Amino acid sequence: MSGNGVNRRDFLKILGWSGVGVAVAGCDRPTTVTLEEGKEEVVAYLQPEEYVIPGVGVWFASTCQQCAAGCGVHGRVREGRVLKMEGNPDSSINYGKLCQMGQAGLQGHYNPDRIKKPLLRKGGSLTEVTWEEALGALEQKVGAASGLAGDRFAWFTGTVSGHQSVLLSAHLAALGSQHHFVHEVINNAVGRAVNLDMLGEAMPRYRLDEAKVILSFGSDFLGAGISPVYFSTAYAKFRTGSPRGVLIQVEPKMTLTGGNADLWVPIRPGTEGAFALGIANQLLKQGVDAAGVPENIRALIASHDAEKVASITGSSADRLARIATLLKERSPSLVLAGASVEGHAHGYSAAAAVMMLNMLLGNVGKTIVAGGSSPFPQMEAKMGGTRDLIAFADAADKKNLDVVFFYGANPVYTAPSHLGLTEKLKNIPFKVAFSNFPDETALSADLVLPVLSPYEDWGTHMGIYQPEQKVVSIQQPLMEPLYPNKGFGDLLLAFLKMRKVKEYESFTDYYSYLKNAFTALPATVKGGALTNDEFWGKTLQKGLLEVPTVVGTLKPRLVEINLPEYKEDAQRPFHLVPSGRLGLWDGRHANLPWLQEAPDQISKIVWTSWAEIHPATAARLGVEQGDFLRITSDQGALEAQVYIHKGIHIDAIAVPMGQGHEEYGRYAKGRGVNPLKIISPGADARTGELALYGTRVTAAAAGRREFLVKLSSNETQLGRKMVATVTADVFNRAEPKTIT
Amino acid sequence: MSGGYCFLFRQASSVAPVPVTWAHRGRGVHYFVTPLLSRVITFALVLASLLVLALPAWAENGATTKGVPNVVPPKGEHAGKHVEQPIEFPHDIHTKVNGINCMYCHTYARRSKVAGIPPTSKCMGCHSMIATDKPRIKQLTEYWEKREPVKWKKVHDVPDFVHFTHEKHLKRFVFDNEGMSVDRVSEVCAFCHGDLKQMTVANKVKPLNMGFCVRCHEANKGPFDCWKCHK
Ligand code: SF4
Repeated sequence: MSGNGVNRRDFLKILGWSGVGVAVAGCDRPTTVTLEEGKEEVVAYLQPEEYVIPGVGVWFASTCQQCAAGCGVHGRVREGRVLKMEGNPDSSINYGKLCQMGQAGLQGHYNPDRIKKPLLRKGGSLTEVTWEEALGALEQKVGAASGLAGDRFAWFTGTVSGHQSVLLSAHLAALGSQHHFVHEVINNAVGRAVNLDMLGEAMPRYRLDEAKVILSFGSDFLGAGISPVYFSTAYAKFRTGSPRGVLIQVEPKMTLTGGNADLWVPIRPGTEGAFALGIANQLLKQGVDAAGVPENIRALIASHDAEKVASITGSSADRLARIATLLKERSPSLVLAGASVEGHAHGYSAAAAVMMLNMLLGNVGKTIVAGGSSPFPQMEAKMGGTRDLIAFADAADKKNLDVVFFYGANPVYTAPSHLGLTEKLKNIPFKVAFSNFPDETALSADLVLPVLSPYEDWGTHMGIYQPEQKVVSIQQPLMEPLYPNKGFGDLLLAFLKMRKVKEYESFTDYYSYLKNAFTALPATVKGGALTNDEFWGKTLQKGLLEVPTVVGTLKPRLVEINLPEYKEDAQRPFHLVPSGRLGLWDGRHANLPWLQEAPDQISKIVWTSWAEIHPATAARLGVEQGDFLRITSDQGALEAQVYIHKGIHIDAIAVPMGQGHEEYGRYAKGRGVNPLKIISPGADARTGELALYGTRVTAAAAGRREFLVKLSSNETQLGRKMVATVTADVFNRAEPKTIT
Repeated sequence: MSGGYCFLFRQASSVAPVPVTWAHRGRGVHYFVTPLLSRVITFALVLASLLVLALPAWAENGATTKGVPNVVPPKGEHAGKHVEQPIEFPHDIHTKVNGINCMYCHTYARRSKVAGIPPTSKCMGCHSMIATDKPRIKQLTEYWEKREPVKWKKVHDVPDFVHFTHEKHLKRFVFDNEGMSVDRVSEVCAFCHGDLKQMTVANKVKPLNMGFCVRCHEANKGPFDCWKCHK
């Protein structure tokens, strides 16, 4: 072409312009797109606020409810529709950032599977009814005339906080019931118990930004943790500090946090406690002061020498020593425990062994400091775990419940089969689900009340982790309801009015209740000399109210550590790892196509489940990527496609949580498998939390194979240097002191 | 329930969410709205629009038009059909007889991608006093009193994959156009909407297809990148 005097650039230019010519000729045809005049409607505002300009977005502050972290959000509203979520820069939880789940929340709001009308079970099947009929049926069962009282009534919820939690507690009190079961699959319940016993505070403040080294035992604080966005910001500070923080992750399956680590150490599931004691052993050998450690614990530490620990955990003795040296030399450090440590029958002891390292290393008071408390304990988040799920199944089994209200939880999906919840629920005569979607629990209920979406309703929230500054975060509607349903707070008020007319009759709706609650706050909380309306307006505008936070002091003390001997199981040689992920979470987001489509951060797989195994394990089992693997526990079997990855221990098989819904709308139903279903019975000895990581399984090729749909099907860069790398040698020369 | 407010049709009400900012988030100045400030701003805006839009129109009432300077008007015709509207709005009476500037009612055109249909409150601003006995005004008042927005039928539209902005076009053809005065904006509007002075309800008389746009962009050196219009 250059021979003709036309170079590539000119050629493209010519092509471009002649292309335009062709296009212009074609574009004069009458348009076939539906632009016929007079077809669509354009609705003018009746009387808009001054700030409304059609075509220009207006931002409203609210609170994200995609997980319990309670990040502050700004929602862009245009022509009466909420279109985009961003983080609220004023929030001390997320500082203007938002995670993918927060972004995807809109797809729940506009989801085509939303329940549009109340459903009442009539003759065995759920039938659409009016709100009048639904609330009439409800009043019959729980109203003053029903005679229902005491513990025969229960609320079963996910994490709740703010004024909804206050009203919910008031409702229980009005009925005289103590039963509030709070259930979350992804939780830190065992860790909270350890913290309370060893530090005197369940949720202390972890100063990632102050730490020079973090040793994390399966704590996926960047992914499926207690406050992913908060910890991502803190982690960025940790990484950009001087010297740059070093992250060591010890876990059976690489989590998102593990993927970010400088050193990732695979460990045999359930042996993390031994690993921590092994580190303690090395620290004492290296002269760390253990004056305050009682004799029995010292003996326990002494019995965990490097060779023994290496053989238990599947790591190397040498590595233990090097990690201990690094921790000792780069002080302060921070040692964390996560779900893979806590999810065993000995989870409490293992997490206690991990916390003990912080004490030996002198981290308490430096990188683990006291968190704050607010003057409103009744509004702080009621956090759950799985113990309440077991207790609830038990109460149902014993026919101790007449009426139960479900909100923000889907126990029929999350309960392991061994709890037999589906059967036991039949013992509860009247089950009410406050749900927007036809999920497993809603469809087994007798009455489904479709509440407004989080983008349509009023509320207040307190995130589960806000150690620096407590805030009450406001939930404002970002648009008018898509369907004429009722808000959760409004329903709570209505239930209270059924029992306590006098106390609540002055509140016409939940909005007036909230406004009243805020304007009645003492001047110390409100601050400034504002009128009630000004204060309320300002709070709504900002989306949150910072409340006085009192920082306490930690009271460190050691506790008993009882770690069982690790035992092989010849019959079921593998450990099942039901991994959580930032995305589908515990399965609640499986109905959001964006999150189904967003590749898993480690495997890059979309829209389905998989069984993650080590290449050596794959060789041992004689399977290849894409083959279906049949995984069998004492509770049943499931089949998922093999994904081969080096970031997993050879004895572990990881199946992510989130899929395997039997209901829950078109995007979730019938897709993949739910590993929670084959979890073996067993609970942490101290806290009673389900041992989610304690299941032994067998695995065998299922004899079928399908193409595994994933992004970036090649694990290498094919020599393209997209990510620049240096050899460990060069790196070691550049960094004064590091690990290999 | 908390449904006393409504984003789309709502009346001024205290049972309403409060926005973070007036302007775009992260773009330009954020005007924090306080009740008093908002009233001051409203007042100022009304005053300004009267001065900028209405006064020159009165001053030059009857002035002859000589074509918009520095612009080659787009070519193309379209035989649009008559569209029944809920109220037969007479553009001619407003623009020709009374000489009201287009942007007095379609006030959003210079500030947004859409020109916007004026809110009913704007109509009532005049018609709570003017021509109250006319059948069409009675109809309008009925809507207003029922607090019901008028559902107009769309006449001019481009597909969703076309990003057309009124604001940019008015900037180029009116506000940044030397020798052009704002009181003659109707001539610019007419490029795409036809001469509304001759119509009652709007009627589509220009094709508004890609050929129409592209030829005008060519003639007036408008941007030519695909992504300018197809975002
Ligand atoms: S961390 Fe939780 S609350 Fe925060 S944006 Fe993500 S889903 Fe929402």
